[in-house]
Order: sequence, then C-alpha cells, then structure tokens
Amino acid sequence: MVKMLGAALIVLAATLFGFAKARQFASRPAQIRHLILALKRLETEIMYGFTPLPDALQRIANQCSEPVKSLMEGAAGNMTPPLNWTAQQSLQHAIETGWKHTAMKSAEKDVMLQLGFTLGTSDRKNQIGHIATAIRQLESEEQAAREEQARYEKMSRSLGLLGGAFIVILLY
Amino acid sequence: MKNCSWMTVFPENIRSLLLKLPPALFSGLEEIRLREGRPLELNAAGRHYFLTSAGGITSDPSAAFKPGKQESNRLLDLITNHSLYTMEEELRKGFITIAGGHRIGLAGRTVLSGGKVEHLRDISGFNVRIAREVPGIGDGILPKLLDFKHRSIHHTLILSPPQQGKTTLIRDLARGISSGAWQHPDAKWPGLKVAIIDERSEIAGSRRGVPSFDVGPRTDVMDGCPKAEGIMMMIRSMSPDVIIVDEIGRPEDADALAEALHAGVKVIATAHGSDVHELALRPALSKLADPPFFEIYAVIKRNDSGLAFRLWDDKLRGIYDGEAARKGREKYG
Repeated sequence: MVKMLGAALIVLAATLFGFAKARQFASRPAQIRHLILALKRLETEIMYGFTPLPDALQRIANQCSEPVKSLMEGAAGNMTPPLNWTAQQSLQHAIETGWKHTAMKSAEKDVMLQLGFTLGTSDRKNQIGHIATAIRQLESEEQAAREEQARYEKMSRSLGLLGGAFIVILLY
Repeated sequence: MKNCSWMTVFPENIRSLLLKLPPALFSGLEEIRLREGRPLELNAAGRHYFLTSAGGITSDPSAAFKPGKQESNRLLDLITNHSLYTMEEELRKGFITIAGGHRIGLAGRTVLSGGKVEHLRDISGFNVRIAREVPGIGDGILPKLLDFKHRSIHHTLILSPPQQGKTTLIRDLARGISSGAWQHPDAKWPGLKVAIIDERSEIAGSRRGVPSFDVGPRTDVMDGCPKAEGIMMMIRSMSPDVIIVDEIGRPEDADALAEALHAGVKVIATAHGSDVHELALRPALSKLADPPFFEIYAVIKRNDSGLAFRLWDDKLRGIYDGEAARKGREKYG
C-alpha cells in the first residue's frame, strides 16, 4: 500500500515537473513579446514625449504586466533618489535581481544589459537606434523561443509523465 | 543651508568633499568647475581655489583632487536626470538649468550639421554656477528708476561685465515692481504686472514652468523663450506693464524692444558691458541709442559691501554715482 502511494507520488511529481517545464517553454516567447512592447513604448516616450528615463520607465511599468512590470519598476526606482544610480547600474541591478522570476533566458538578458550601457547617454536619434537594435534582437530571440515552444512544450509534458512512470517501473 | 539643490547633481565622492569645506567658503561658493582629468576648481568671492582629495583647499593644481571619466559621466547623468535625450536643445546652447535656477555650462566636442552646432558630445568640462536669491539687493536702485508722472518706472538698461550680479538684480527688481515695494515714501501706487522673458531660465529659475525664485505676486514668466519672440508673445497675450529681459544683444532683440516701447510697455533689460559710452559702437545696441530708447542707463559693479551702481540719463549725462545700500545679507551670484 505504502509502495503504491510512493509510486503515485513519484509519478505526480514528475508530471508536475514536466508541466512546469512546458509552461516555461510557453511563457518565454510571451514574455519576450511583452518586453518588446515595453521597449516600443519607451521608444515613443523618448522620441515624442521627451520623457526623462525614470518617469518613462515608471509609466511603462504601470501599463505592463508581470514580470516586465517589476523589471521596469525596479530600474526606475534605482534611478531616483535616494539611490540615484546611473541608468546603466539601475537597469543592470533590476535585471540581475529580477531575471530569475522570469521565463526568459540569458540571450534576452544580454540584449537588455547591452541596452543599459547606452540608455539615457545620447541624443534621441541615437537612443532610438539602440532601442530598435535591441527590439530586433529580441524579435529574433522570440522567433527562436516560439520554435522551441512548438518543439518541446508538448514533449516535456509527456516526458514528465513518462519519466515518472519509468522511475516507478525501475523501482518495482 | 537653503537652496543647496545644486549639491544633488554631484557624485557622492565629490559631494562629501564639498561638505568638508569650511562653512564660510561653502556658503560663498559661486562656481564649481569640473574638468575631466584636471583639478576641481572652486570660485568664491572673485577668488579661485582647488579642492584636495581630503576636502581642503589649495592653490597648487598638482596637489588637487582630479575627477576622472567616471565622475564626469556620473555628473552628466545626474544633471540630465539619466536622460541626455531630453536636453538636446540645452546641449545645442551649451548649458543646462537645473532645479533651483542653477546653471551648468558645458564644454565638449560639438557635432555640426550644415555648419551649425547640432549636438554636444564627449562632454568633459562643467561649470556649475550657483544661483543665489538676494532679496533686497535692488532696494537701493529701484527708487531711482521710478517714473512719478506715469506712476511706473523708466525704461532702464543695466550694464555690467559677467558675474557682477545683473541677473540677481533684475530678479529682485521684478519682485519689487510686482509687489509694489517701491522703497520710496512718495511712491504710493500699487504693484505692476511684470513679464519676465527668461531665455536661459536664470531669472526665475523655473522648473516645469513654475518659478523657483520669488519674482513677485504679479509676475508672469515665459521660460526658455527666445527674447525677441518672447517679448512679442508677452505683449500680445499677457498685457504686461513692465517687461524684464536678460542679456539683450542681437539685432532682433532691439526690434522687439522698440515694439514694446510703442506698445507703452516699460522695459528693464541687461547687457554685457562696462561703459555706457561704448554702447553706440555695438551694432545691435546702437539701434537703441538713437533715438534713445532707454531713459536710464545703470552700470553696476559688485564690491565687498554689496552692489555699487552709477546712473546715466538718456543723453548719457551722469545722474547718480554711489553705492547701493546693501540690504541682502548674502552675496549674490
């Protein structure tokens, strides 16, 4: 009886793991899309609104959903007193602390960190150029993430269940 | 210490050095000049000092604290609120005005477009000019500018070399005229409507359109507006009794002032210069000399006890020579 219960637990755990993995594959492209939309908003704020970076990021954070919201909010918060960090430090810190709560991987992170080096430090034309580059890179990552999703989402779901069953068979 | 908002633009390490300065020097600071890789310079009361890395002062440049690339980048970042792109117009002009009316002059490498300066990059020289409000600095000169017949003031041109307190003076004149504090026993008319054309945001130190200095209860400020255009806009829209502008010197300024004259608006203007008789030689200002536009010319000079001024009438005859009683406690910047 105890054996049966243990086996059921193993299968359940493995299945949940598989589902979690699948969800990660599913939410990564969605989150990248969110990030791209946020950057497009930032582009508008800079190009037409002349909005200072902390205000712009805060405004975007208010319109975004998690996890992009807390990334933007964190960066804006670091830039304003009392911390008053530079734009690069602020964004970097927000990304380093917040990235683990997202489904995004290091490729997207690198794009954002790279953007941090130039954000706020040049004229509008230049800023728009850098943001557009980041958006393009993120779009190609999004494409790759979608392909991964199509390939691995279902697979990891079934693999979780099958893996659990496999372990149970081995133990019996 | 009041109005030390300029401190917030400095990186932490420089801020802590500045806070170690003797209080007398600190409160008298007029300019802080940061040049990348070179000594940090302080100007106070017409003298210059270099700051040492221990927070003391020295006159030996080699013993001084030398801010590096990191400090200058950080300073620029803080001045622009992390958003250089919002300051394109300011960079074209070469200075940024921050909260509190303090002005920061910039030097770097210019980017040209069609022979005109389009942008400033590689900014490595900063001059933080600390603005100080000195209520009462104009109390000595204001009674001499009164026009009893029209219950108003005379058209006045204030002349002085840079850094003698022109802007501080006209800010206080605006306050006095606007509130009706004429400082004269026979002047019993109320305050007048004043319009300030504040091209460089120095007179009123406006932040988001609201003056950070006391410029009087009946004063309108057109912030960041080219003088000639601003004068016309104010005449058309705000029906001022008195217009106050800083540093006239271009031909179109003279035309706009002439327009103000015909509209029956009194004008107080300032210009760089040290001698009223040189005015006729200056192309833009000579237009205003013949026929005479200004009824009073004032040359001001700061001295240890405050503000000294001399006055001439429209035919350049001296009418007053003396020192203004110093009412403001602080020095002006």
